[in-house]
Amino acid sequence: MNGLKKIFKSVSCPALFPTPYSLFPGCLDTVRSVAAETFRESVKNRFFTIFAVFAACAIYASLLVGVMAVDEEARVLSDLGLGLMELMTLAYALFHAAMAIPREVETKTIYLVFSRPVSRPAYLLGKASGLYLLSAFMLSVMAAIHLSLMALRGFPPGLVYFHILACIWLKVIIITSLALFISLFSTSPVSTMVISGIIWTLGHFTPEARFLVEKTAGFSGRLLKGAAWLIPDLQLYNLRDAPLAAAPGVWFQFAYAALWALGSYGAAVLLFKKKEF
Amino acid sequence: MKKCFYAAAAAVFTGLLFFSSSGRPASAFPPPSALREVRHSALEDMLALSLGARRLFADLWFIRLMQYYGTQEQIAGVEEKEDAEHGHCHHGMGFGTGKYPEFTALSRHIAALDPYFKNAILYSAGSLAFNMDRPDEATDLLNYALVNTPREWKFLIMLTAIGYSKSSEPGKVAQIIAPLVRERDCPVMLKQLAAFLNKKAGNYAAAAEIYTDMIETSRDPFYTRKAEEELRKMKGLRR
Repeated sequence: MNGLKKIFKSVSCPALFPTPYSLFPGCLDTVRSVAAETFRESVKNRFFTIFAVFAACAIYASLLVGVMAVDEEARVLSDLGLGLMELMTLAYALFHAAMAIPREVETKTIYLVFSRPVSRPAYLLGKASGLYLLSAFMLSVMAAIHLSLMALRGFPPGLVYFHILACIWLKVIIITSLALFISLFSTSPVSTMVISGIIWTLGHFTPEARFLVEKTAGFSGRLLKGAAWLIPDLQLYNLRDAPLAAAPGVWFQFAYAALWALGSYGAAVLLFKKKEF
Repeated sequence: MKKCFYAAAAAVFTGLLFFSSSGRPASAFPPPSALREVRHSALEDMLALSLGARRLFADLWFIRLMQYYGTQEQIAGVEEKEDAEHGHCHHGMGFGTGKYPEFTALSRHIAALDPYFKNAILYSAGSLAFNMDRPDEATDLLNYALVNTPREWKFLIMLTAIGYSKSSEPGKVAQIIAPLVRERDCPVMLKQLAAFLNKKAGNYAAAAEIYTDMIETSRDPFYTRKAEEELRKMKGLRR
């Protein structure tokens, strides 16, 4: 990061070659600081230890199930581990996304933050980045445990394993961004988590919902079609479930996740700007 | 000015969402209505669909199917014995044959949850057709799986083998399923069947090769013990 700064500072004419640093030097520093703080707070939290221990135990349990599956051990071991990883990361990231801003408001930390020259969009972006980083870190730790268990049993994973991990992360990014936005208008963190959970569920039903919508004619059909667009299609990222051949391209997956993350961020900025602290 | 910017941003977002919807593939799975309840599975099925965990739940149902099929049936009036004449008992110790009334429903449930779970479908179809003498149910199961995986050659080979099994030509059936058996992840039950059919047709070398492969690759002690036993018997025959 510092290296990049030096590079950008060394450019003699920033007006001719605008870079993120030359355009918003203060903003990016704020984003980085808030993201680092969000990440640090989440890692310090006792919940993280609980989740880590639970993940280790759950993956160990998957070994037992693997033994029961005899010749399908590799498949069961991989599926159970990946499924648990996804649920753990989702639960932890959702919990923190739902609590991130309400907790700061409750403890009045946010007043201290905004008494300094900190822009609200930069603060929100920092919070979101911290949460993305947290989920990536959590996934990496659990994947390391899972991979070592699989290696111990003599099942080295293929490259597709890492594609699946990336897809899980993208799914969590989408839902975390939405949860952060929802937390700004919901009445409590619990309701944020419930609403996000419902979106998560609906997101996995999107292909079926689209199929049903296509069968519905008239005004209600058009209305349902519009509503179906407003639910993120999480099945696009469900590589641990669907065959690889049925998945869209990697760039499409990244672009779609970026679209949802940016859309949620934009809506959150709009709401956050109207809030009075 | 600001309002215009927000409106434009919202329009761009909606447009991109609309554009992205055209590039999305259709569902790779059978519709939820294809799932029929077995053993009060409604809640589990709901979880499988809503958490996007069809594959994981199909694994669990396959474990249940193996446990069910691995348990000796206790039906009054039904005496289980090895069908040595037809060679339909893959275990050769009194189970494997039998009625197992829930077997088809459980297999179908797995196929509805995850039609790409090839080994489970091959295992179920093989057991139904060759061990329990229910080739019609096996054919139905394979045809059902082929709706989602029309190019799956393993299912097509199995269908052909089931067709030939009616003609009482064990050598021909063994020849048909040979490509399946050569696959690294072929269900061990099919390997056992192929070895048995080869032995019955007098192709001892081929049978011995399959038994050796079973010992080297399978993690199921039951089948590996059985393969060792068969190899010993065949060595005795050669002497």
